[in-house]
Amino acid sequence: MSPSDTQGPLMVLEDVHLRLGSEAGEVHILRGVDFEAGRGETISIVGPSGSGKTSMMMVAAGLERATSGTVMVDGHDFATAGEDELALLRRDRMGIVFQSFHLVPTMSALENVAVPLELAGRSDAFDRAGEMLAAVGLDHRLSHYPGQLSGGEQQRTALARAFAVEPGLLLADEPTGNLDHDTGEQIIEQMFGLCERFGTTLMLITHDPGLAARCERMVTMQDGMLSERAPAARKAV
Amino acid sequence: MNVGATLRLAWTYARRELRGGLKGFGIFLACLSLGVAAIAGVGSLAAAVEAGLKADGRVLLGGDVSFRLTHRPATDEQLRWITDNVDRVSGIVEMRANTFTEDGSAYRLVELKGVDDAYPLFGGLELSGETDLNAALAQRDGAWGAAVQKGLLERLGVGVGDRVRIGDVSVEIRTVIDREPDRGTNAFNFGPRLMINNDALAETGLVQPGSIIRYYYRVDLPDGVTPGQFTERAEAAFPEAGWRIRDLDNAAPNIQRFIDRVGSFMTIVGLTALLVGGVGVGNAVRHFLQGKIATIATLKCLGAPSRLILAMYLVQVGLISLVGIAIGLVFGLASPLLAIDIIGDRLPVAARQGVYWQPILLAAMFGVLVTLVFSLWPLSRARQIPGAALFREQVAPISGFPGWPTLAVVGVFALILAVSAVLTSAQPWLAAGFVLGAIAALGAFALIGFAVVAVSRRLPRPRNAKLRLAIANLHRPGGATGGVIMSLGMGLTVLVGVALLEYNLKTQLDGALRGEIPGYYFIDLQPDQVPTFERIAASFDPPIRTQTVPMLRGRVSAMKGVPASEIVPPPQEAWILRGDRGLTWTAGGPPDPEKIVKGEWWPPDYAGEQLVSFDAEAAEAFDLQIGDTITVNVLGRPITAKVANWRRIDWNDLGINFVMVFSPGVLASAPMTYIATAHLTDEQEIALEKAVVGELPNVSAIRVKEVLEGVTEILANVGVAVRVIAVVAIFAGVLVLAGAIAAGHRKRIYDAVVLKVLGATRRDLITAYALEYGILGLVTAAIASVLGTVAAWFVMTRLMEAPWAFAPEPAIITVIAALVCTVGAGMIGTLAALNKKAAPLLRND
Repeated sequence: MSPSDTQGPLMVLEDVHLRLGSEAGEVHILRGVDFEAGRGETISIVGPSGSGKTSMMMVAAGLERATSGTVMVDGHDFATAGEDELALLRRDRMGIVFQSFHLVPTMSALENVAVPLELAGRSDAFDRAGEMLAAVGLDHRLSHYPGQLSGGEQQRTALARAFAVEPGLLLADEPTGNLDHDTGEQIIEQMFGLCERFGTTLMLITHDPGLAARCERMVTMQDGMLSERAPAARKAV
Repeated sequence: MNVGATLRLAWTYARRELRGGLKGFGIFLACLSLGVAAIAGVGSLAAAVEAGLKADGRVLLGGDVSFRLTHRPATDEQLRWITDNVDRVSGIVEMRANTFTEDGSAYRLVELKGVDDAYPLFGGLELSGETDLNAALAQRDGAWGAAVQKGLLERLGVGVGDRVRIGDVSVEIRTVIDREPDRGTNAFNFGPRLMINNDALAETGLVQPGSIIRYYYRVDLPDGVTPGQFTERAEAAFPEAGWRIRDLDNAAPNIQRFIDRVGSFMTIVGLTALLVGGVGVGNAVRHFLQGKIATIATLKCLGAPSRLILAMYLVQVGLISLVGIAIGLVFGLASPLLAIDIIGDRLPVAARQGVYWQPILLAAMFGVLVTLVFSLWPLSRARQIPGAALFREQVAPISGFPGWPTLAVVGVFALILAVSAVLTSAQPWLAAGFVLGAIAALGAFALIGFAVVAVSRRLPRPRNAKLRLAIANLHRPGGATGGVIMSLGMGLTVLVGVALLEYNLKTQLDGALRGEIPGYYFIDLQPDQVPTFERIAASFDPPIRTQTVPMLRGRVSAMKGVPASEIVPPPQEAWILRGDRGLTWTAGGPPDPEKIVKGEWWPPDYAGEQLVSFDAEAAEAFDLQIGDTITVNVLGRPITAKVANWRRIDWNDLGINFVMVFSPGVLASAPMTYIATAHLTDEQEIALEKAVVGELPNVSAIRVKEVLEGVTEILANVGVAVRVIAVVAIFAGVLVLAGAIAAGHRKRIYDAVVLKVLGATRRDLITAYALEYGILGLVTAAIASVLGTVAAWFVMTRLMEAPWAFAPEPAIITVIAALVCTVGAGMIGTLAALNKKAAPLLRND
C-alpha cells in the first residue's frame, strides 16, 4: 500500500457530491462537502438523522463512490482506485466500528479479530488478535461466539478487530448507540485510548453532544453540507 | 492476495461458517438428493439388468451364436457346414398354431416350439412336473409328450396327463414350463407356449410351404473360436443365405432395446426431478445468501476482496451439495436392491446385484452440474454485495442480474449438462428432445413467472384489502412467485400432457372396438384355403367383410445397391431393416389411388421387371427415389425391385399395411400363405373364429380386441411410469414451494404481527394468504394446462400422426391439484405465522 504522505492530511474531501437513485427519484445526499482530517486528529460529526453523516463516512471508507469531487485517504485517490484496491486500503489502513457491532456470528471472538490480519496474510494473525482482545479486556472470552457475548463485549471485540491492523483511520458510526450509558462510557474510553496509542485519526459519528465534545474538532452535517464549529478542547483520556 | 491464499482463506472461512450445521439447507438437500437418487437408482437398476443380460447371454440366446431362417430350414449344405465347425448344434422351430382339446370343444392359439434332444444347449428350463425335458417330450406308449405354460391348461381346462391335439397329432401334456430363459421379450406373444419334439412337429402337418415358421440353429463353439470370427466365416461361406445371425454381443436385442428405452425414459424422470429440484437449489442458495448479507458486507468492510467472498460461499454450497449428492447416491444405490426384490420376477433377465460405478458417477456429475447451473447466479450476486449494505437496508440484492460473465459461465455449465444428458443416453434423440423441451418449458415458465410479477405490480389497486394484500404479496421483493410457477408448473404440465395422451389413445381403442378397424386377423391361410375362408365369411348374416392378400416374409438386404449392413438408418425407420418384413404382391390396382403421392402404379396386365410400391414416409427417410432399387431376401433368394411409387400408409387403421407391395413376377411364384382381415359385429366374433378354425385348423385366428387389450395394458403400465415422473417432479415442485415459504417465514410473521397490530383479524389474514396462494395455483395450473395440451397435441398429431381430441377433465384435475398443493402448503406455512403473539415480537424488534 503506497503512496503514503506522512506530512499532509490523512483524509481530504473536496467538493464531494453524492446522488443516489431511488424509486421516488434521485436523491442529492452530499452537496459539496469539503473536509480535511489530519493525522492523529479526532473529529466528531453531528447532525440530524438523514443529514448525510453516514453517507459521508461510507464515501470516506470507499464503500460508496462519490458522484463528483475528490476523495483521498493517505494519498490514495478514490476516483482512480478499483474495488479491490479500496478493499485493500480498508484492510491495511482503516478500522470501522458500527452501532450494531457486525461481528461474524459463526466465528469466535478471536477469529473475528483475526479476520483483517488473515486477509492481510499475516502469519501471526491469531497471536496479534489475542493481544488486541487482551487490550480491550477480553482475554478470557477468546473462544466465545458473538451470540455468547454481551452487547458491550461484542462492541469491545469489534473495537479490537478495528485496531488489529493499527489503522491510520478509524471510522466509528454511533459506536455506543446500542449500549447502556456505563458500558458506552467504557467503550469510548478504550476507543480514545487506542486511537492515541496507535496515532489513529478518529472520525466519529454521534448524536451525543457530550461525546462529540471529547473530540478535537466537531463538524455539523446539515442537508448534505458541512459546517465546522469552533474546536473543542480535547479532554484528557 | 494470490489465488492460493484466497482459496486457503475461503476454505477456512467456509468451515467456520458451516459450524452452525446444515440448518436451513433441508430443502436444498431434499431437492438435490431426490434428483440424484432417481438418476443413480434408475442407472444402477438398468446396469444390474444389463449385467444379468451379459452374464446370461448364452442362456438367453440359447448358444454362442444363433442363426434364424424364416419359412424354410437350413439347406443340407448349410447344416453340414455348421455341424462341422461347432462342438454342438441345436435346431429349433417356432410358429403359431391352434391347439384343441381331444373332443374339440375348446381351442387356443399357442406359440408352438419344436426342439431337438440337444435343447437347451445352455442353462435350463424351470419345469413343474417332469423335470427331464427330453424324457417329457419323448414318444411314450404311442404319444408324444408336450411341455406347456400354465395359461394353456387354464384356457383349455386340461391338466398334466391330459392330451391335446395340435395339427394331426395328439400330444400328452407331461410338464409345465415355469421359466423359459431363451424366450426373450417378444411384445407380440399371441398365446402360451407349447413345446414338443421336432419329430412330433413334423407329424403335425402344420409345416406347410409359405407358413410363417422360424427355424433356429444355436451352436456351442469350440474353445478358441470367437462368435465374431465364426459369424464372419458363416457369412463368407453363405453370403446369400438370408439368415439372421446373432451372437453374445446382441444376444437379446429386444431386451437390450427394452432396457435402453426404459433406462433412458427413467433417466429423464430423474433429470426432470433434478431440474425442478434445481430451481429449489437456486432458491435455497439465494435465501441462504440473503441471510448472509451482513456477514458478507462486514467482510467487505474489513477488506475482503470480492473473489474471496465468491470462493468462500462456493466452497460452502459445494460442500453442502456434496452431502446432498452423497445422500442421493446412497438412496440410489439402495433402491435397485429393493426394486429387484419387488419386481425381479417380472424383469426379462435375472438382474445382478452390485455397485455399478458408471451410473453412480453419472448421477453425481449431474448433481454437481445442476448445483452449479442453479447456484452460480445467486453466488455471483453475493460477490457484488457492497460493504455499504451494513449502513443501508438493501432490498433483495441477491436476485438481480449477475452480469454477463457469470451468465456466460452458467451457460457453459448448462451446455455441459445438456450435452452430457444427450451423450450418455442410450437414446440420444429422446434425450435431445427432452433437453430442448426442458429448456423451452423452463424458459416459458421463467418468462411467465416474470410476467405474473410484472402484471400484478401494475394491476389497479383492488378495493378489497385482502385481495390487495394477496396481489401485493405476489410481487413483493424476494417473493416466491417465479420459482413456484416454474417448479410446480413443470410437473403439472407433464400430468396434463399424459392425461390427454391417454384420453386420446383410449378414444382410438374405443373406435377399434366399435368395428371401425378389423376385428380379426387370420394368418397362414394356404392358397387353396382362401375360397373356403371366403365362403365361411359370406355365409354369415350380414355377410362378413373380408380382405385377403398373399403374404410372405423377407429381409431387406440392400437399398440402391448398398448392403443393408452398411446403411445407417434414420432411427424412427430402423425397424424396416431390423428383421423380416411382411411382403405382398398384387396384380390389381393400388389399395387407394389417392394415397399414391409419387410415381405411378403398374397396369393390371403388367408383366415387366419387378416393381415395388414403398411406404412414402420410409422412402423419404431412406431417400429412396422412383427408379431406385431395393433387394429383399426371400427364402434365401435375393429379389431386386425398382421403386415404382410412394404410397402413404395410415398405420392407425390397423388394416393390412405393407411397407412394400410388389408387382407380380418372381414373387408371385414363391410359396406363400394368405393373411385375411374380417370386419364384423361383436356377435359374429366368436362364431367366425370357431367356424374358420373348425374347418381350417392350421389357420391362426388373432382377435384384435385381445391384442389391443394387451397393448392397453402396456400403455397403462407406461402411463403409471409417466405419472411417476409427474409425481416426482411435482414433489420436487412442492419442495421448492415449501422452501420458498420457509424462506419468507420471518417476513410472513412480521407482516402478520404488524397487520394484527393494525386491527386485522386472523380470518382476514387467512383469507388474504389463501387468496395469494390460490391466485398462484390458478395461474400455474392455467399455464400448465395450456402447455400440457400443446405437448400432447404435438405428440398425437405430429409424432403418432393420430387424430386429436381435447378433454377438459385433465385440465380441471390439474387446477384442483395445483390449488391443493399451493394453498395447502402455503397455509401450513402461514398458520404458524398467524399463531405468533404480537407483543413479544414487537418488544424484541
